[in-house]
Amino acid sequence: MIGWTMRRLPAGSFAWLVLHEVRLSMRARFGKRRASLTGVLGWVILAGWLGIGVLAALGLAHVPIEPNNGQRIAVLVAAILGFTFMTSQALIASQRTLYESGDLDLLFSAPVPPRTVMSAKLVGIVAAIALTYSFLILPIVVPVAAVGHPRLFGIVALLAAMALLAACLGLALTLVIARFAGPRGARTLGQIVAAVAGGAVFLMSQIANLRGSGRGRSAYDQLYQWMTAHGYGSTGWTAIPASAAFGAPLPIVLLLAATALLFALTVTAMNGLFLAAYRAGGVRLSPRRQARGGIARHFHPGLFGTVFAKEWKLLARDPALVFQVVLRLIYLVPLFFVGLNNKVAFAPGLAFMSVVIAGQMVGSLAWLTVSAEDTPDLLKVAPIDKAAVDRAKMIAAIAMAAPLIVGLPIVIALSTPTGALVTLALTLLGGWLTGVLEVRFGKPAPRSSFRRRGGGGGSLVRTLLQFAMVAVLGGIAGGVVLLLTFDFSRTNLPRAGQAPNVSMLRH
Amino acid sequence: MRGPPVGFPASALLDEASMTSALSLRGISKAFDKPVIVDLDLEVAAGQLYALLGPNGAGKTTTLRMAVGLADPDKGNIHVYGIDARRDPRKAKAITAWLPDDPMLYDKLTPAEYLGFVAGLWNIAPAQAAPEAERLLKWLELWEVRDTRCEGFSRGMKQKVALAGALIHDPQLLILDEPLTGLDAAMARSVKDALRAAVDRGKTVIVTTHILDVAERMADRIGIIAGGKLLAEGTLDELRERAGADDMTLEDTFIRLTSAPALA
Repeated sequence: MIGWTMRRLPAGSFAWLVLHEVRLSMRARFGKRRASLTGVLGWVILAGWLGIGVLAALGLAHVPIEPNNGQRIAVLVAAILGFTFMTSQALIASQRTLYESGDLDLLFSAPVPPRTVMSAKLVGIVAAIALTYSFLILPIVVPVAAVGHPRLFGIVALLAAMALLAACLGLALTLVIARFAGPRGARTLGQIVAAVAGGAVFLMSQIANLRGSGRGRSAYDQLYQWMTAHGYGSTGWTAIPASAAFGAPLPIVLLLAATALLFALTVTAMNGLFLAAYRAGGVRLSPRRQARGGIARHFHPGLFGTVFAKEWKLLARDPALVFQVVLRLIYLVPLFFVGLNNKVAFAPGLAFMSVVIAGQMVGSLAWLTVSAEDTPDLLKVAPIDKAAVDRAKMIAAIAMAAPLIVGLPIVIALSTPTGALVTLALTLLGGWLTGVLEVRFGKPAPRSSFRRRGGGGGSLVRTLLQFAMVAVLGGIAGGVVLLLTFDFSRTNLPRAGQAPNVSMLRH
Repeated sequence: MRGPPVGFPASALLDEASMTSALSLRGISKAFDKPVIVDLDLEVAAGQLYALLGPNGAGKTTTLRMAVGLADPDKGNIHVYGIDARRDPRKAKAITAWLPDDPMLYDKLTPAEYLGFVAGLWNIAPAQAAPEAERLLKWLELWEVRDTRCEGFSRGMKQKVALAGALIHDPQLLILDEPLTGLDAAMARSVKDALRAAVDRGKTVIVTTHILDVAERMADRIGIIAGGKLLAEGTLDELRERAGADDMTLEDTFIRLTSAPALA
């Protein structure tokens, strides 16, 4: 579609350049193989999503939509969350567009005004952000708005305004971070913001679901009542997003005009600042550090120390990748709430979680240390024992996960020191075995490819095997701790159909 | 400008009998989708600078990757200074250095950290490796950026860091695939001088290069490989004689030999 449109535009024109940028962004985000299974699946999901939108449009065609307070607050919260994701995307896109695309020399050497090139690049960032969220929102919103609720086209305006604002913020942050920490720092921040925001949304939903049952008001109820009490979302400037989304003309005009003006100012400033810096001497991906002192500190005795030090440095210097990988564990966090809500299962539950979560974390880190290897050939031509290298890499992964490995057993030790030791041992065993699986089945690949995969975790079979293994070990740990904390002297075994007495337990 | 370091104990691994042949490939064959190397015999004497030339896809890099243990031949024997590299690869690797066309670097490590890592892999004691690393970094004009991560380096700077890594354990056998790629003229000259100096100290250097002028000026012997076979091998004069003209440049000789495989 983009290529088809580009062919009909004058080559080198502003619109043509914008579409070129959008094409690059889309390919960086979704890949470029239209015929791949993932691509086909994506189109099927989009078609299904559109189908749901059409059904919703038919169902709501004659239903009046009058926004109430709750809906306005929901729009505000969704807008804040969406804006957070958009800003993280803008940070990454700005860094890629300005510093990593590698095409600036080509574009600036072409007979096209440099300001046109820069403006097209910046508009391309906005368009790429807006397009990403359009796939999510427009298949539902457009049919509903088109069949009886034209005011809902305000959501499209809100989306555009948010994309403009996010792009301005992302560009400004990128320039500031690049100034002090180098352009890669901007990408790192963008990835971390995206990962944390994604994890926070999931956690909030889980907390609301789990704590809402039987404990009175849910977290959502509390948030809603707090926002209502302060008038957030329904009065003042915080009402603007909802008013725009529900089609009020003035907020729509205000939002679009303000964000467009801000974007125009940003483009003007960027044209001046970035082009001046570029012409003055180009851009550097990393700041050049002042060399200090000797180099003896970088030389370690023995293979283990050498490999361990290198893996630690590489992990510590790629926080975005570590964040991506470790945040996968967030999806195991609901286990915590199950355990904490049940007095009988508290210590055994902690033991189970310790093994599962720490094991998974070690597995994830081992995936990085063992498989994310930029120079496998260097290790192959070196006169070393590969098993020793793998051991050092696994121990580096375990060391990095040490706070988690030790943390939960310490809590368990308050109930049963023996159980804590057993848990610790099984946690270490679980971590070690997940690492062994990584060594056995992992395939080395450059770290950059791991970043593109978003910390996906290697093959599905290996991930399942690792999870099954730590789950079994976790079950054993939980069982042992249950036996150790169970007070048999006060036990009256329940008859069939009778619930056990909680007083049977020491804790 | 000073040359590369000397005096590491790798030579202690060698015995007297192994000192005549630095690299010996006998009956080597390798196929991927199709045969890439076919019954290749190659002998590089110790203390020589040997240039392996050939057109693109001739099998040069595959041959060298097998020599350093990165790829297994389908059949044949490989000896490095008399050590059976297929039977005792660690011993052979201990005295060999490999510098590929694409530098083997970690973007997130600094040159000093990279050299520390490589020295650890080759088990060089820190007290010995750190001064040599300092000397190499200064020689290659990397000392000022020793604490800057490699990710922002130019191609030439990365090549120099990798070259320092290849030299830090003072290998007996240096195998370098296009070692001058990305280097400026002055640094290329320094590297050529250093390689020559290493040979003068008894080391063996095998290089592949597309710059025939480099091979013509530097190499003691030249091998020309094409289609996975060694077409011709010898000194420049011997190659000229084989090509049938005494006054040809190496470029003319190369083109004549590679376009007439029947000569092999």
